[in-house]
Amino acid sequence: MRPIIGMTTYVMPASWGVWRDLPTTLIPYDYTAAVTEAGGRVVLLPPDDLDTDVLRMLDGLVVSGGPDIGPELYGAEPGPHTVTHPDRDAAEMPLLRAALDRDLPVLGVCRGMQLLVAASGGTLHQHLPDVLGHERHRVAPGVYSDHDAVFTPGSRIAGLMGADVTINCFHHQGVSDPGTLTVTGRAEDGLPEAVEDPERRFVLGVQWHPEVRRDRRLFGALVGAAAERI
Amino acid sequence: MRRPMIGLTSYAQHVRFGRNDMMAGMLPMTYVKAVHATGGRALLITPDDPGTDVLECLDGIVFTGGGDVDPAHYGAVPHPETEVDAVRDAAELMLMRAALAADLPVLGVCRGLQVMAVATGGALHQHLPDLINHDRHRAHAGTDPLAASAGDYGRHDVVTTPGSLACDLLGRRTSVNSFHHQAVADPGEFVATGWCPDDRVVEIIEHPGRGFALGVQWHPERTTDLRVFAALVQAALVNRAGPADRVAPVPGEVPAAV
Repeated sequence: MRPIIGMTTYVMPASWGVWRDLPTTLIPYDYTAAVTEAGGRVVLLPPDDLDTDVLRMLDGLVVSGGPDIGPELYGAEPGPHTVTHPDRDAAEMPLLRAALDRDLPVLGVCRGMQLLVAASGGTLHQHLPDVLGHERHRVAPGVYSDHDAVFTPGSRIAGLMGADVTINCFHHQGVSDPGTLTVTGRAEDGLPEAVEDPERRFVLGVQWHPEVRRDRRLFGALVGAAAERI
Repeated sequence: MRRPMIGLTSYAQHVRFGRNDMMAGMLPMTYVKAVHATGGRALLITPDDPGTDVLECLDGIVFTGGGDVDPAHYGAVPHPETEVDAVRDAAELMLMRAALAADLPVLGVCRGLQVMAVATGGALHQHLPDLINHDRHRAHAGTDPLAASAGDYGRHDVVTTPGSLACDLLGRRTSVNSFHHQAVADPGEFVATGWCPDDRVVEIIEHPGRGFALGVQWHPERTTDLRVFAALVQAALVNRAGPADRVAPVPGEVPAAV
């Protein structure tokens, strides 16, 4: 059988067909397709649960993108541009910590990468334009901006990305202190874009959105690491 | 805590949320909350990825509501009111047959009940108003079925067959909330054990040859009456030894007694 890859989800009022604004657990289809195309079997994990017992049935975990994480997770007060979803934080942080304790392969995307950083004792910049003086990591609503990243030679992400180092960003927060993680990729302005934990089997966080391109380099690596557990 | 893992079939659907308008894997939270409220752990199964291997990590499965099953699967031509979801049909018919073959505890809700019938050789009525001359299985008389708020769901009684699983769980008579325009004509390998007494429309089916395979035509997940969800979770607890853990327990974590 294929590796079972758990994936965190949003809960939002959603509309479709005759239905209007029903509270719905959902994840953009690109995420599930990226795992499927990489050979994994996705199960979605709604944040409506604080228990981590589900991890015993998983071979890997994708911590997906979404709103800002609560600054209290890294010891800060909320800034004026910070928009959080406390229900997701409450469910995802214990899930992520327990997954790391089990050395489960983990891929963190955007918000997921930021959760990885907070779980590793690091901190975030709450609004990058205040720090960097530009908005090139989130140019407009719903628009990804391409950057050329620089990856640390010999790192996991450098090996996975190879010669094509273009990344697609959509974020207004960023890593300030990576905690116990290692920064292995940066944008041209020096902002951390990839973090890893070399002490664990597979812990990778990327600030960009590889699911949009269904990037088999990254999702394939996660599924490959998950398959080694079966 | 070591709870039964309950799969929930879900939609791959174009959906609007926040500023977004995109394809998503999704399911109304009412189903998730019903599973968690009755002691299970909900995992959503997306339909875009056909295969049955996911059943190996589940203790039970809920086939959820949604669009109509393509009548081609029971040898009929589509009625003008029939709106199919081909992606879910392909994934769920395959999953249903595999779940029944494995005797995994199965609960079907609305469309899920209809998938049970069709997957085992049964057939559906495609548009109830043609058959019974009213639309009260979708909405209160005088309300717009397509307004679709829970308060407008059709309310009616259901009577059950004495001695059936349905009767054990719900008693001889219960009151339900319906939102469906199709219904079971032939339950296939299942047996009809509950009806609306006003018009004889089938509201419950169960499989006599399986430990727990029950379908209900209404929407218990949108009520406080979660008896059928509780029964599924209980069946998932007791009917199977359960799948083996895929990850060794963390040192210090006490494994549950088998």
